[in-house]
Amino acid sequence: MLQFILRRTLIMIPQIILVSIIVFLLAKAMPGDALTGAFQGNPDVSQEQIQKIREKLGLNDPWYQQYGRWLGNAVQGDFGQSYVHKQPVTHLLAGKVENTLLLSFFTLVVTYIIAIPLGIISGRWTDTWADKIIVTYNYFAFATPVFVFALLMMYLFSFVLGWLPYGSSVDIKLEEGTWDYFVSRAKHLVLPVLSGALIATYSTIQYLRNDIIDQKLKDYVKTARAKGVPEGKVYIRHILRNSLLPIAAFLGMEITLMITGSIFIESIFSYPGLGFLFIQSISTRDYSVVTALVLISSTAVIIGTMLSDIILSIVDPRIRIE
Amino acid sequence: MKDTVIVDEKQLIAKEKANNPSLLRTIWREITHDKMALGSLIILIIILLSAYLSPLYIDQEAQHRVNFLNVWKAPSAEHWLGTDDGGRDVFGQLMLGTRNSFTIGFMVTLIAGLLGLTYGLIAGFYGGKIDNIMMRILDFLMVLPSTMFIIVFVVIVPNYTVVTFVLIMSAFAWFGKARLIRSRALQERELDYINASRTLGTPSLKIMFFEMFPNLSSLVIVNMTLTLAGNIGVETGLTFLGFGLPSGTPSLGTLISFARTPDIVQNKWWVWLPAALLILVMMLCINYIGQAVKRASDARQRLA
Amino acid sequence: MAKKQFLLLASLMLVLSVFLAACSGKDDKKTGEKEPAKGNDKGSEETKGEDAEDASAGLDFPLSVSNTAEPIEDGEMTVALVSDTPFEGTLNRVFYSGRPDAEIMTYFDEDLLELDGDYLITNNGAAEYTVSDDNKTITIKIKDGVKWHDGEPVKASDLLYAYELLGHPDYTGTRYTFTIENVEGMPAYHAGETKEISGIKVSEDEKEISITYTEATPSILSGVWSVPVPRHYVGDVMKGDLTIEELEASDKIRVSPIGFGPYKVAKIVPGESVLFERYDDYYKGKPALKSVVLKVVNPVAIIEAVKKGDVDLATIPADQYLKAKEIDNIELLAKVDLAYTYIGFKLGKWDKEKKENVTDPNAKLADKRVRQAMWYAMDNETIGKELYHGLRFPATTLIIPVFASFHDASIKTPSYDPEKAKALLDEAGFKDVDGDGFREDASGNEFVLNFASMSGGETAEPIAQFYIQNWADVGIKVQLTDGRLHEFNSFYDMVEADDPKIDIYQGAWGTGSDPDPEGLYGRTAAYNYTRYTSEKNDELLKAGTSEKAFDTEYRKDIYNQWQELMVEDVPVAPTVYRYALEAANKRVVNYSIEPGTENYRPWKWGVSE
Repeated sequence: MLQFILRRTLIMIPQIILVSIIVFLLAKAMPGDALTGAFQGNPDVSQEQIQKIREKLGLNDPWYQQYGRWLGNAVQGDFGQSYVHKQPVTHLLAGKVENTLLLSFFTLVVTYIIAIPLGIISGRWTDTWADKIIVTYNYFAFATPVFVFALLMMYLFSFVLGWLPYGSSVDIKLEEGTWDYFVSRAKHLVLPVLSGALIATYSTIQYLRNDIIDQKLKDYVKTARAKGVPEGKVYIRHILRNSLLPIAAFLGMEITLMITGSIFIESIFSYPGLGFLFIQSISTRDYSVVTALVLISSTAVIIGTMLSDIILSIVDPRIRIE
Repeated sequence: MKDTVIVDEKQLIAKEKANNPSLLRTIWREITHDKMALGSLIILIIILLSAYLSPLYIDQEAQHRVNFLNVWKAPSAEHWLGTDDGGRDVFGQLMLGTRNSFTIGFMVTLIAGLLGLTYGLIAGFYGGKIDNIMMRILDFLMVLPSTMFIIVFVVIVPNYTVVTFVLIMSAFAWFGKARLIRSRALQERELDYINASRTLGTPSLKIMFFEMFPNLSSLVIVNMTLTLAGNIGVETGLTFLGFGLPSGTPSLGTLISFARTPDIVQNKWWVWLPAALLILVMMLCINYIGQAVKRASDARQRLA
Repeated sequence: MAKKQFLLLASLMLVLSVFLAACSGKDDKKTGEKEPAKGNDKGSEETKGEDAEDASAGLDFPLSVSNTAEPIEDGEMTVALVSDTPFEGTLNRVFYSGRPDAEIMTYFDEDLLELDGDYLITNNGAAEYTVSDDNKTITIKIKDGVKWHDGEPVKASDLLYAYELLGHPDYTGTRYTFTIENVEGMPAYHAGETKEISGIKVSEDEKEISITYTEATPSILSGVWSVPVPRHYVGDVMKGDLTIEELEASDKIRVSPIGFGPYKVAKIVPGESVLFERYDDYYKGKPALKSVVLKVVNPVAIIEAVKKGDVDLATIPADQYLKAKEIDNIELLAKVDLAYTYIGFKLGKWDKEKKENVTDPNAKLADKRVRQAMWYAMDNETIGKELYHGLRFPATTLIIPVFASFHDASIKTPSYDPEKAKALLDEAGFKDVDGDGFREDASGNEFVLNFASMSGGETAEPIAQFYIQNWADVGIKVQLTDGRLHEFNSFYDMVEADDPKIDIYQGAWGTGSDPDPEGLYGRTAAYNYTRYTSEKNDELLKAGTSEKAFDTEYRKDIYNQWQELMVEDVPVAPTVYRYALEAANKRVVNYSIEPGTENYRPWKWGVSE
């Protein structure tokens, strides 16, 4: 096990370096840079001055020089300066990580809380009315774009019913650390989390339903039934054990997807996090931020898959990791 | 050598022909025995026919024409589904959009399917070192930030058309498929018929595509049907960001991404809701058909 | 396994769509409306010339709230920062980049010299100024009792500090402008040759600062930099306390910035909201409100937030105007924005060596009658009236009506008239030779124009399509460059590089508060994207900022001639001017969006309930 982790970590290093090179190249391929946007429509600044700044920031150097510089600093934990945000990238990201982690963690938890029981019901009692409702809901969730759904949720719960706030992560007037502050944060999380979770259930439900239907007909299940094991036990002891396994395995992946996947929710609910920052930085060509984010998410994906493998090997002794 | 190849191919094709209809027939039998699936098939055919034949009854020139005196009009006899922000008829766009979106979804599924199939078959067939290397490459590809790639490509491609869009999307949609095929191929290669074929000296490529593939075809078909459902409207998000299809290409995704303010969601529902519903209906149809196909591929589950 | 990969694919798909479904656009906000909107109403009245009459008819927005009740003691107000992105939080005038940051700063930071309705400096603010006889030196004297929020007096050397930062060799921000560069000794300081700016002198008592310019220009009266930076508080870069980079990122700018404005920053939740408290020692008197909350609200939520009474002040996006009109607990205020949209005609190339624009006499659109015809062919009135419900109206000249003293409303500019357009094209020899419905050029060759337009913003696509139709109606074949709209950066990248794929383009300029058009249309201006040049143009632009132009009458005459020249030569065809719309809750008192008035200043704003 230890050896496995060690080896995977070693493989990770060249992978991440390669990813960062590719992202650097991509960044170069995009038209314009951070200065194009910042100075557009600012005719009072001379072209020479803009060129000078480019020179100063090293934007005119060939990409490999820029890359070398960046790598040198990155190794020391310095991801450079964000041109748009005027602060070190590490600083900038640190400020948003908390929000993103909270949002993605709860979205994930709620997604599973909704999806696992529904998937099981739907798979166990196939073709009943409950199954049909669940399947329809599921397709509805899949077909509805997040932005439309988030808007509907906001409209209903914030404006018509007035139960929940429509934006921000906390009421600014509350003192940090107090009970009210905590409640306010929680309240501000409900809508973004629900909007994300209710329609993120799709893949889990769909997977569980299909898999249980498959498992039901497998020989080991038939044997168990033939031996007179009660139906409930067949499901809990045998089928679910097998069906839930891959879900556990995908947990690692799922977490990383959530971190980058909440862009739209973040924007609509004015909830500052990393996902939106990514798209924003691409469109403002704030590449130091983009590279840092890609790096973080790639590392997370790799660690996520590693975790998945480890989880799998723990729950299912048949799978052994070399 | 060349001759034998041709002969072999002919034989194999003949074998294929003998083999495939039976699968198709099973699928057909399965569908006709499932009312849901049959109904779905009929609905889907109606939708697709009316969409693909729409150029016959919709004047595309007029459809494209902006008329600001006529914007955001509610549904009426003249405009069955009202008009959009440019005063263009939504029904016409819905029909042309369905055509474009379905074509795109289909092409993406097909190309990604082929890529994934080839990659997975090769990795699974050879196994061992080759498999290991190919899988590491795949792992790496999956780590890449696909969103950024897609945006960059869309921005820098000089001549942007539907074809380019399909290619860009396909390039990032095959990773999962490759893994799936590979894992099945790995199991398959241990089986006797492959070993026998190998001992007989059949070229590897031929074993892969003419012997192994038919045995995986049901898996492939099932998987493709299900992904097809997801690929309709795959342009929605991109369109929303402004990196979608070239302008003047109506699509379901374009229509849906009109829903960006509560006002449009609530009061101008005719622009986005029909497209959303149409996607839903098509997805459901494809799903029910897909399930029938799936049952056809697994004898234990067959209804017929 | 099958499901595993399906699950993966599906989730990838989902994530992808979520990813992409985001960010409706940093881009559309950047269409050139860089400067915070300020404007005044006099102009809008005047634009209602013949052409604009219909489009803006029925739109009569007040500039001030009608509630005249006494503001309550210790009121609290909530203001929306309408944006779909979090604010960046670089709360310093020297360094900030986003518009939301600028809006936040108006509450706690100020210019020493207040501007009047014409955007000219006055003596009403925290300082007074005098200009020397040769118009080259301006002396700014800080009034007594102007204190930073930490109690320290605002010193002349604090203003000097701002100049030292702006010109600093390490400064990478966007504000090292011509007016800064024009300060005597600034170029040497900027190049790192000296540690002092020879043109700026601070008096012994730290009350007076005099700034001498290399060239006298009337732009000083609207463009002089007068925002000081609290040197003692943020740390002194000049003494090596910290670097510029450290300063930009400093908590003293981002977490607890100070100013000398009416409210002090009490708390900031990064990216989403700011809480202000009354600054009792404000030099003008006690501000009306006890506290102000500024929070980011996504444009999609703004109408409902306003309706609910959650926010007292908010800008309203043009596409939600009709909805806003129905809300009865608010008042809508509007003024003409400092910006215009235009169609540019590519007429030449930028010469990198000589650093000047070179007009190509053989350019596709070299014949000005064709350009005039294209202007006549555009139906901007319909766009303004139908698409924007009057919030945009046909533009006439290149000096926007906001500059009431310089905008010439008497010039007859092309308005929608397809017949006239056809006549002009016939005259230019552009006739349909091969009978395909489109005209060929004067020598009978195929004539197709490539039109570049930016994506972002809801209506970008139909508007581009509409213009293409308009031009087709008079027989000019126009197609979109690469068959699509272009994203902000690629658009300007291509336009800037004179990409041969672009013959015409749609752009927008924010004009800033100085009417001088040199930076956008001069021979040596890189932003003169059409590459139009003419001697007459050079002459007029030079005269407009000469010493003689300190005489407003003279300047006005010169700019009138220039506007006329632009209408005649049509390097660009201005399409629409726009209104900036704002909603104020009915409980808001003493609030105005008219620059130069007392109620324009945040310290007067109050609430009546």
